[in-house]
This record gives sequence, structure tokens and C-alpha cells, in this order.
Amino acid sequence: MAEISEKYNTKCPGVKRLMREAMELAEATEEYCARPLEDNLFEWHFTVQGPKGTDFEGGIYHGRILLPKEYPMHPPHIILLTPNGRFEVNKKICLSISGHHPETWQPSWSIRTALLALIAFMPTPAEGTIGSLDYSPAERKILAKKSVTWACSQCGEIAALLSSTTAAKPITEEEKTVLNQIAFKAEDEQTAKPPEEPAHTQEPEPQVLESSEPTNSFLDQLTEILVALLVGAVGIFIYRRWNAHYPTSETEL
Amino acid sequence: MADDASSSSGCAGNIIDNSINQDELIMKQQREIEKEISETIPLVGELEELSSLEKEYNEDPVYLLKVKDLSSKYKYIRRTRPDGNCFFRAFSYAYLEHLLTDKSEYNKFYEIAKNSKEILVALGFSQFTVEDFYETFMEVVQRVGEQAGGTPESLESVRTELHDKFNKQGYSDYIVVYLRLVTSGQLQTENDFYQNFIEGPRTVTEFCRQEVEPMYKESDHIHIIALSNALNVGVRVKYMDRGEGSQVSEVIAHDFPEGSKPLVHLLYRPGHYDILYA
Repeated sequence: MAEISEKYNTKCPGVKRLMREAMELAEATEEYCARPLEDNLFEWHFTVQGPKGTDFEGGIYHGRILLPKEYPMHPPHIILLTPNGRFEVNKKICLSISGHHPETWQPSWSIRTALLALIAFMPTPAEGTIGSLDYSPAERKILAKKSVTWACSQCGEIAALLSSTTAAKPITEEEKTVLNQIAFKAEDEQTAKPPEEPAHTQEPEPQVLESSEPTNSFLDQLTEILVALLVGAVGIFIYRRWNAHYPTSETEL
Repeated sequence: MADDASSSSGCAGNIIDNSINQDELIMKQQREIEKEISETIPLVGELEELSSLEKEYNEDPVYLLKVKDLSSKYKYIRRTRPDGNCFFRAFSYAYLEHLLTDKSEYNKFYEIAKNSKEILVALGFSQFTVEDFYETFMEVVQRVGEQAGGTPESLESVRTELHDKFNKQGYSDYIVVYLRLVTSGQLQTENDFYQNFIEGPRTVTEFCRQEVEPMYKESDHIHIIALSNALNVGVRVKYMDRGEGSQVSEVIAHDFPEGSKPLVHLLYRPGHYDILYA
């Protein structure tokens, strides 16, 4: 934290707010934990436990939280990294009041609100929303089981990140009504909101996500290329075997 | 970030994508307009002669008559950015400015402001986020209090400071958020009364969550009634619109709360509030 306060302008409300949230969330709980990256207060990693009594029970899910520089005026983006069967991985999803625009994010909500809402929203039907997946209960249960051994390249084994003893602060009545209203959806367009004053001395944004994460389409393309290569290799193999058995004049040349 | 978003929308290229509703397009366009506004109009502008309004209505005899009527009572106008937060921004700027020269009003207000946080926390708002906004709000309020009733020179310097803070997005928006919370708190505390003002099947709490607490949501009568009551501050709004009535040239005024002595004067034109000065 000391390092962070040197790096960012702590007079700036967004920075002050995030440092406060980091303190508030410093202790891991059984349900969730989240903390900023060491070198970037505007990117956090989180871990949540799959909600009990659902297909996600027993699952542990890890992801990233990207805070816009206008936070808390604009909502955080959440990116799930652990395959879960409910949300696409490596895709930015955003919270808002169900049936309303992202503009219904409220500055008095926090990262905790976002995590609690994410947990509460997981078992809701996907209904074809952008960024949602509609896997069968069986598939989700398999993924939940697998998730326990999932590791993040930055945080390590995610199962070790949650506390086994500390329960999260109980959900208040107000939070409960809020959580019931929040929905998550991938944003399709990402035209930036009006530019605002830089929140901090260093720009944390550039490190964010452009290069590192292959998107689904990239994966698909990769698979296609691999399949093509494989087919080619098999073809060559057969061709050579054919030649070995039935040498033609060409091969003798 | 934009790159990332476009690549991920590319990969979702399926039926869902094709059915992106008009909403999304409208929102995109709206964001572009907002961007342009934020680049050209300051959050709170400098003092201008009221006659600057005439230029806007050169071709419009009805409005020119209204400007004339207005100028019989007001000399100056201070414009605010039309970003949906203008009522809250105009109100707080004008009121804090007034408090600089009215120490007894300041003392009264300070007590109300100080207690406002507890009311919100009791209503169930998250303590630490409310505190975050409250502290920034009170920091600005206390700066005003330190200088209230001071010498003309010290007043001038604190006015400049106030103007700077209101034009810094961080401070300015934090003040807006806090006033939105106070407004929401008032609506929820007196929800039996305010329910009558809400059209449709929404409850007061739902209304607050959708129309009061989010940033950039425009203010209506109900917001002004609630905030002026919560802080016990008289607000006069001059309505300059194409309302019917025989006296077309007159700009109608409304005082909130009714019968109060107005300390803040605002000019309303459809969808927007600016500050007026006598």
C-alpha cells in the first residue's frame, strides 16, 4: 500500500476510494476475495465461491476486475478467467440494473457489491445475453469440479486464495434488494465516455488486456490452423508411405 | 480498451449480434454527443451578462420577450454543463457561494450536512462508500465555512478555489453523488408522501435506484422538492419554456419548498438548469 500511495495521486477521489476498498477487502473470506495487482491499483484479481445449492456449488472462480479511470462514477468491468459454463471467459462483462443501461451503475456500489452480485447472478438463466453461456447442469458441475485445481498465472492456485474460516460480512437488507436487481452482460460497444482528468500520475490502462488474452475467435482460428496442419501432415505421411510401397520413377530421380 | 472491445464483439458475430437493438446505437450516438459537450462546455462556467441569452434566441420573439422579463429581475447567469447532473451542480455551487456571505445560514446548514451521513447509513447505504462521498463533500463545505463572512479579498480567493473545485471532475462529481444520495435518502424517509409524485407502478426505492442515485440522470420536480426539503434550503426556479398561459412573455417562478425564502435561483430551460444572479 505504501508503494501505491507514492505512485498515485491520493488526493484524487478515485484513487482514495480504491485504496479504501482494498483495505475493506484486505482479508479473504469464504465467499470472495479481491485485491489490486501490485503494480496497478486499477486492475484487481478476484476469486469467488460458486453459490451453494446450484450447479456451481464447490466451484471456485477467478477473474479480473478492470476499473475505469472515472471509477466510481463509471462501473467496473469483470472478466472471468476460470471456465464456468455461465459466462464466457476472457470477455468483459458489466453490471447494471436488470433491463436498464449500464448507466444505472451507482457510485455508492463497490467492488464488494459487484462480487456479491456476480455470485447471486451466476445461477440465473443465460437467456442468450451477450457474454453468457448456457451449458447444461452436468457440464457446469464438471467445470465446478475442475475449477478447484485451476491456477492463475499471477495469483497461483486459486483454491488457496479464499479463506476457509472467515465468513464474509453479512449481506444487509439494502444490499439484498440491490443484488436482486443487478444483471451482468457483456458490452458490445465500448465507446469511451467523455474523457476526464487523469486519475493518477501513471497510466495503468495500457497494461490492460490488449495483447495477452486470446479471445475466443482467436482460439477458434488457432484450432482451425492446427487441424489444417494435422490434416496436411497426415496427407504427407500417407503419400510417403504410398511412395515407399509403390516407388515411382519420380522418386528414383 | 476500445480495440479489445471491438475484437470481442467480432467474435460474438452471431444472431445475437445482428439483433443489437436500436438502443445500443442510440447509446453510442449519445456518448459521442456527451463527449463533445464535455470537451466544449465547462462543468460550471464564468459569470455572464444575462443579455448573453438574447444571442441564443435572435430569431425567436417569444423567447426574446421572456429574456426581457427575466432581465428585469436578474443581471447575470452562470451556465453549467448539460450532463444530466446540472441541477445538483448548479444548486450546490450557488448555495455554497451564497453561504460565503451568510454565516448564520452556514451554521444552520453545517449541522444538517453533518447529520446527513447518519441518516443515509441508517437507511442501509454502505457505510464506507457513503463516507467516501461525505468526506469530500464536507471538505468543500468546511473550506467555505472557514472563509464565510471574511474580508472581500479572502472571499475572492475562496470563490476562485470553489470555482476550481467545481470544475475538477473528481471533486465536482463527488459533490453531485453526495447530493444525489441525500435526495434519495429524503425520498425514502418520506416515501409515503413522495409515492404520490411517482408515475407508474414504481416504488420510491426503485425510483431512487433508477432515477436519483445513478449519475447523469436528469432531475425533475421531485428531485428538487426532496433536496430542498432535506437541506432546508429555499430554491427558486424560473421556468423558461413554451408553457401555455395568457402571459406568454412572463417567466414563471416556482419556489421549493413552497413559501420558503429563496437563496438559490436557477433558470430552467427544457432539460437544463443554469444559475441566476440578481
